[in-house]
Amino acid sequence: MSADAARIDRSRAAKPNGWWGMAVFVATEATLFGTLVGTYFYLEFTNPQWPPPGIPDPKVLAPLLLTAALVATSVPVQVAYSAARRDRVRLAQLALVVALVVQAVYLALQLHLFLDDLDTFSPNASAYASIYFTLVGAHHFHVVVGMLLEAWLVVRLVTGLTRYRLVGLQATAFYWHFVNVLAVVVLLTQISPAL
Amino acid sequence: MRRLGNLELLQWYGLLGAAIVWAAQLVLAYGLTVARCGEGGNFGLSLDTWQVVLMVVAATLALLAEAAAVTVFLETRSLEHDDPPPAGRRHFFATGAIVGNVLFLMIILLTGIGIVVQSPVCGQS
Amino acid sequence: MAVDVLTPGAEQRIERLHRVWRPRPGVLGWLTTVDHKRIGLLYFFTTLAFFGAGGIEALLMRTQLAGPDLNVVGPETYDQLMTMHGVTMIFFFIIPMTTGAFGNYLVPLMIGARDMAFPRLNALSYWIFLGSGIFIYVGLFMHRAPNCGWFCYTPLNRRAFDPGPNVDFYALGLIFNSIASTATALNFIVTIFKLRAPGMSLNRMPLFIFAMLAVSLSLIFALPSLTADLVYLELQRKGGFHFFDVAHGGDAFLWQHLFWLFGHPEVYIIVLPAFGIATSIIPTFSKRRMIAFPLVALAELLVAFIGFGVWAHHMFATGLPTITLVAFAAASMMVVIPSTIQVFAWTFTVVLGRPEFRAPLLFIGGFIVFFVLGGLSGIMFAAIPFDQATTDTYFVVAHFHFIIFGAAVFPILGGMYYWFPKVTGRLYHERAAQISFWLTFFGTALTFFPMHIVGLLGMTRRVYTYKPHLGWDAYNLSETIGSFILAAGLLLIFANLVWSRFRGAPSGPDPFRGGTLEWATSSPPPEYNFAVIPKVTSPYPNWDPADREDDARRLQAGTLVLEEGHETPAVTVRDGYLDEVLRMPAESPWPVVVGLGVALIFTMLLLSHFVLASVAAGLTLFALAGWHLQEPELE
Repeated sequence: MSADAARIDRSRAAKPNGWWGMAVFVATEATLFGTLVGTYFYLEFTNPQWPPPGIPDPKVLAPLLLTAALVATSVPVQVAYSAARRDRVRLAQLALVVALVVQAVYLALQLHLFLDDLDTFSPNASAYASIYFTLVGAHHFHVVVGMLLEAWLVVRLVTGLTRYRLVGLQATAFYWHFVNVLAVVVLLTQISPAL
Repeated sequence: MRRLGNLELLQWYGLLGAAIVWAAQLVLAYGLTVARCGEGGNFGLSLDTWQVVLMVVAATLALLAEAAAVTVFLETRSLEHDDPPPAGRRHFFATGAIVGNVLFLMIILLTGIGIVVQSPVCGQS
Repeated sequence: MAVDVLTPGAEQRIERLHRVWRPRPGVLGWLTTVDHKRIGLLYFFTTLAFFGAGGIEALLMRTQLAGPDLNVVGPETYDQLMTMHGVTMIFFFIIPMTTGAFGNYLVPLMIGARDMAFPRLNALSYWIFLGSGIFIYVGLFMHRAPNCGWFCYTPLNRRAFDPGPNVDFYALGLIFNSIASTATALNFIVTIFKLRAPGMSLNRMPLFIFAMLAVSLSLIFALPSLTADLVYLELQRKGGFHFFDVAHGGDAFLWQHLFWLFGHPEVYIIVLPAFGIATSIIPTFSKRRMIAFPLVALAELLVAFIGFGVWAHHMFATGLPTITLVAFAAASMMVVIPSTIQVFAWTFTVVLGRPEFRAPLLFIGGFIVFFVLGGLSGIMFAAIPFDQATTDTYFVVAHFHFIIFGAAVFPILGGMYYWFPKVTGRLYHERAAQISFWLTFFGTALTFFPMHIVGLLGMTRRVYTYKPHLGWDAYNLSETIGSFILAAGLLLIFANLVWSRFRGAPSGPDPFRGGTLEWATSSPPPEYNFAVIPKVTSPYPNWDPADREDDARRLQAGTLVLEEGHETPAVTVRDGYLDEVLRMPAESPWPVVVGLGVALIFTMLLLSHFVLASVAAGLTLFALAGWHLQEPELE
């Protein structure tokens, strides 16, 4: 069964439906984030001071390092798909677990920073804080969703590879590459006042 | 074979090039006006210079897209729009793209000229 | 494909297809269906019900406005009626009718496929759509319906000025609804790209498919803007965030920009499927192919794309700097041109064909008249000074009703007659249909034409009453009379379709000699749509007799009959070469369960029970897991 799934994947000329579905979903989410980023800069251009008085400039180093770590997980996620394509199911699961561990540490540290920021400046006090927490929070939410997708695949792969699960893996890898590009965009937006 | 590969790329640039370039010009032109006229200060912009540069770059790329579409059309002019792919498909897209690119070019020029002739810069109508 | 005599081999194959695709019986069958035709029918009847609700809201408003200083309904009720009329007609009638009903039923048939790319997602779209409609109408029954206008501007939408749950019903209800539309759009895009019959390259797709592709791409790129706006609104109302209030660094224009970034593509979303219906009816009843086919196809996509760059023409009177508005004025003038190309192509196709003016073509004729007039008033708004003089008057109301009713609803009505035989296997009553057209046409004209005049005479929109002796009374009375005539016309259409469903003459597979593939199978189609996947070499496959004969031969030979399971072929995207055979899911309970979960989430959010909303989200995740445990190839 696993070998069949891998063989069908290699013999396809076009991308599978699940990949296309994820591509369209990525398009809509990218547009959503485009709107959030656009809102950030729109509010910046219509405010005399940004951040407003009383709010410190955003931290740069910690978010930068964390984002680098997250972006690096595109490698194990892609490895997971490539391995599964060649019917190396255990290697695929291992790669997913590696990605999950790094992403979990990333998320825990980012949440710590997030809560720390909330203590310093509240969205109830300014538009800056409102868009800041909405944008950054939305991205963290997308990371959580991505981790759930990976966890689900790790579990499903225990009983072997099917066409369905292989396409799921391909779509999840695509999702993660998108989330990682988004991470860079959100990071640059979030730290832009300090640049 | 190499020539066929080029024809495919020309078809896609001819179809999508002007559209994407106009979209970029719109977002940037609009963004520049918000930056210039917003409370956030005018960022030391010479708005007109930027708008002209934007318009010229966009118009040039749109004209190149039109050239690409016309090239593909001429290469496939003996075909019908529903002839077998890939050649028939390229002819089909090139036909529509020729008309579309003219539209985009006109919007690009009207936008740039319209912004530059407005005076005072941030005045309301 | 007309197969008169089947070999035993072919009969066996068809028998196997019947067995594999036979639906589960009864109500359970409908609750768990993933068949695009059944889902299309569910959408059809549900959207008709919302059309009725929106229509009653309109008639109540028109009755209140029949004369000056009337007191049929008070201002608070009028505000709710006005808002609900707009929200209902746009989000719960037109879009789900054109995409969910017409699109779902016809797209797989027209491309020669057996279902949509994601059948279970399709079912989920319907349940979410239904849930969101019920969600908002609960507000109406509580007399707490959205009351801020369908565009719900800030600062009116803030808790300080609209403290009740009305605006929360609006914001959460529309986010809820947008999940359905996004899923439907995603499904159409992947289906159109991957599930076409082999041979149907991109240049051989029917024009209706181009229209559905344009609509779907628009929905994908437009909805996020509205979603963000509504999320900001709820964060502001329930979380005390600051996006739109100037005092804390927000911006009131932000609401409008994001709303219209969605709102303008939305109006093309409304009208593009109507173009698709028109471009299906015209060739059939003109007995010739559409003139300038590639231009018409690309015009659909051009209108959708350029429509993303005109949004601030809804804000010409807000005091924005002129340099900001100029780009939008330019694009607003140019966006007319692709539509004009289409109008010329449609008209010349009829004129150069041998037209048969049966009811569907009559409705398209009415559509062209209203579309041209509505388009002319529309382009007048592209001129900033004219727009500033007429904004917020009834002139605007006239324009968009000519377009929405005249240019979007007329093709829907024509399309209902046109495809009625395909769906039911019976013919509608032609004479009654023609009368229903004239009644509806006259009613529409009488209702909406005087609005141009009374708008230019200064009558503002969104008012629940007006003073006498302003010169407006006669026009308003005419409009009200017109609206009841229009309602009568619509009732006649409805009565005709109901009567014909039970007493109409049998239609056969192809009563009008249509050119697209839905006419190449029986009426109604079998569950598996086509016994053999059709061979395609043009955008009018049913007008290619050689290919249809080839189908019959391939059925005998068993080529691309695909009767082993729920199977349909997938092709390469650009050129339609056969790529693989897909296994599709059979009925599934998970879409309706996930739909319930999502409804629970939104209800808890409305009530500000955020912990319970999270619990509901967790339950929904479990349901999604159940869904993905069901893998079609393992069934």
